[in-house]
Amino acid sequence: MNALPASQTFPVTNAIGDAVRQLFPASAPAINTLLAIASLLALVAFLPVLLIWLERKVAAHFQARLGPMRVGWHGLLQSAADGLKLVFKEVLKPEGADSFVFFLAPILPASATFLIMAVLPFDHHLQVADPPAGIIYVIGISGLSVLGILLAGWASNNKYSLLGAMRSGAQMISYEISLALLMLLVVMVSGSASLREIVLSQQGTILDWWIFKLPGLGLIAFAMYLVTSTAELNRGPFDIAEAESELTGGFATEYSGISFAMFFFAEFVNMFVAAGLATTFFLGGFLAPRIGLAFFDAVVDFVPGFVWFFAKAFLVVFIYMWFRWSFPRLRVDQLMYLEWKLLLPANLVLLTLTAFFVIRGWIL
Amino acid sequence: MSDLLFYLLATALVIFSLLAVHVPNLLHAAIALIASFFVTAAIYIMLEMEFLALAQIMLYIGGIVIFMLIIILLTTGIGEERRLPVTISRRLAGAGLAALFLGGLIVAFGRWTPPAPAGTNPAVSLDAIGLRLLATQNGFVVAFELISVLLLTALVGAVVIARKDKGETP
Repeated sequence: MNALPASQTFPVTNAIGDAVRQLFPASAPAINTLLAIASLLALVAFLPVLLIWLERKVAAHFQARLGPMRVGWHGLLQSAADGLKLVFKEVLKPEGADSFVFFLAPILPASATFLIMAVLPFDHHLQVADPPAGIIYVIGISGLSVLGILLAGWASNNKYSLLGAMRSGAQMISYEISLALLMLLVVMVSGSASLREIVLSQQGTILDWWIFKLPGLGLIAFAMYLVTSTAELNRGPFDIAEAESELTGGFATEYSGISFAMFFFAEFVNMFVAAGLATTFFLGGFLAPRIGLAFFDAVVDFVPGFVWFFAKAFLVVFIYMWFRWSFPRLRVDQLMYLEWKLLLPANLVLLTLTAFFVIRGWIL
Repeated sequence: MSDLLFYLLATALVIFSLLAVHVPNLLHAAIALIASFFVTAAIYIMLEMEFLALAQIMLYIGGIVIFMLIIILLTTGIGEERRLPVTISRRLAGAGLAALFLGGLIVAFGRWTPPAPAGTNPAVSLDAIGLRLLATQNGFVVAFELISVLLLTALVGAVVIARKDKGETP
């Protein structure tokens, strides 16, 4: 492994950026920031539409149905139509609800996903910001989602909402510990807490990705990350927070129109963000899957990095959807049992083992 | 530019802090507290103390406030006005304390001469903080390890408390 420092490996050059900066030299910082924010907004707005369509299609095919077929090609415009319908619906507020908190709550998870997306390395230089402590930032910001759900549950003035919010809060806080420990593991082996540096530490062939590079442990860590982040996302089989049969809609019971849409959209973008983080931590992020054969490597290197990033992220998204339709929902106590008695001790053992590997230099 | 930004942030911080102690509704107060933590983090970033800002967000907003919220959500009668009756003696006591504090501040600032600005210090990198924390010489390795062990004990303790004795059905 002959890793160069980040600044030398991928010098900052791209034609469009240079042209714009030459035309308006003074406005470069403003243009960069505005472009970054605009593209993130576009991504956050577009992703849920695609992901909801994917979810419905994947669910349908798992159950040997076709799913949405009428609106657009294979129902591609179905979720766009649904989203439009939600936007035009009336926003209802239950009587006795706290208006300020009720309307503040849906904004928080949506902004959390937006903020985390700002540090995801989509390509060599396609990253809005790269704080040196990116992982701490990710852990900190994900607290905002919990906050939004708790506030939504309380402000709705509905016992189902409050119960759903409490379950969800307990679940997310518990699983956040495991998630943080797994991120710590990645920081330990890659020697950096910046998301970009973590990706760059996996340069080389496919065997240099952390999922394969740590002998055996990488695969276990990746599987644990998948389970933990599914729980953190409140997705099935861990979706007791909105278990339809017992809690109607959980914390979002009383929400309608655009407020509901924001929760719903945030949930799906969050899924993509979790998949993107998994890609960054374990699957080599934007790096092409080289296998060491000159011809094959030349072909995969020709594909731009962001294509690889999205391909890997959507693969992980597909695994999340697979989970949802493969396993029955867990009970509340089983959920807590899984985290506190199985995942957390296993995590601590894994962390210790990895530390041992790092010290002995057994990482390939 | 950065002066203007600082005054904006400072004003926001003062307003949110005042709201956090003055709003009658506990939950609204907690939200104001969260906002004030965020603004504090922004001020840390202005001072180029990135790590402190991130730690502030992670510990206070991601951790402590969530637990405060859960406690608040479990209390009953959050929205009700429950103030102490205002009496003349309470007002006098409050005014006296405020005057005392103001006098103390005036005395303290009167004696204090601001140090000459020592130029701009280079921003402290995350690596430097990490190395300093774990350095055996001129470092904080003992304190760091003690706190780590304390936190690990808390984590394992939670598991032990959550464990059911044998024979008890889950």
